[in-house]
Amino acid sequence: MDNFEKNIKENIALFDEYKADKSKLWSNIEAGLNSPISKPKVIKLWNRPAFKLAATIVIALGLFSLVNVFSNREIEQQNHIANQELSDIDSYYKGLVAYQVKLVQKSSKLSPTQKKEFLSFMDELDTEYETLKLEFSKNLDSERVLEAIVVNYKKRIELIENLLKQINSSKNTEETDVYTL
Amino acid sequence: METNILYTHKDLVEKSKLGDRNAQYSLYELYVDAMYNVSMRMMRIKEDAEDVVQDSFIEAFNNLSSFRYESTFGSWLKRIVVNKSINQLKKKKIPITPIENEMYRIKNEEEDEKADAMDIKKVIKSIGLLPAGYQQIINLYLIEGYDHVEISEILNITPSTSKSQYHRAKKKLIEIIKTL
Repeated sequence: MDNFEKNIKENIALFDEYKADKSKLWSNIEAGLNSPISKPKVIKLWNRPAFKLAATIVIALGLFSLVNVFSNREIEQQNHIANQELSDIDSYYKGLVAYQVKLVQKSSKLSPTQKKEFLSFMDELDTEYETLKLEFSKNLDSERVLEAIVVNYKKRIELIENLLKQINSSKNTEETDVYTL
Repeated sequence: METNILYTHKDLVEKSKLGDRNAQYSLYELYVDAMYNVSMRMMRIKEDAEDVVQDSFIEAFNNLSSFRYESTFGSWLKRIVVNKSINQLKKKKIPITPIENEMYRIKNEEEDEKADAMDIKKVIKSIGLLPAGYQQIINLYLIEGYDHVEISEILNITPSTSKSQYHRAKKKLIEIIKTL
């Protein structure tokens, strides 16, 4: 840069020798300007406390229902296992009890009154069994209920066995008597 | 530091982008005289310069969303004014670059003429006496401060042409100044 150029650069402000007619120019400019952008009002819903509360509730409900579905599935699975156990117990003991009841009913040594009395005991145990089954379906402590059902069955079998023993023993006595005679 | 300069009047620019008339007027007030002087130096006629300034501000404000602070708002606006001025001159068929074989061509271009500091008023007057093509290159390089690459883009010539034309124009200018 020579002195000439340097001199001009140093005095550059002096080259601005004109003044614009501001108001005249502006009125023409303003006429050509686009109308102001009407900025669409953005309502930030997520910033509102009500929205935050609603969102929290929705998330909480979602989580709850998710947990519920999973726990229900687990319970259903447990119930399924318990039901399977009950039906196994039923099929085993029911057959046994029914067979022994038939034996009692067929027995010629017992009078109809005795049979009726004995069977009324069985009916009582039947009622107890039904109550237990009802409790089982209510899903109380299924393990304990199942135990009680087994005890109920065992009691019936024990009763029948005892009865049958008595019948047999009386039979033996009678036979011995005959021999004695 | 440079970043701060680029963001000069950022607040006004941002408001103007949204169409805030007051902000636009504030920017206009800040830059109108400078832009009018740029245009006057190139157009030489008051009415033409006013038309260029008006059109430039309208274009700038209506397209302000494309301004991304890659330069200062002032230099962005000035480039619009310069481009519009050049387009207007082209429309009027006024040469924007020197004609190669014109009568003012310096005979001995290699001669290193002593260029001393001169009276600015004389310089301004002499620029006005230069042929149209020389005026533009002197204005763009010496007064508006564009480099030869920028001038090559503005005038659609090569940077080397810009350089050689400038040197010729400068010599002619000095010659005229000396006659005053």
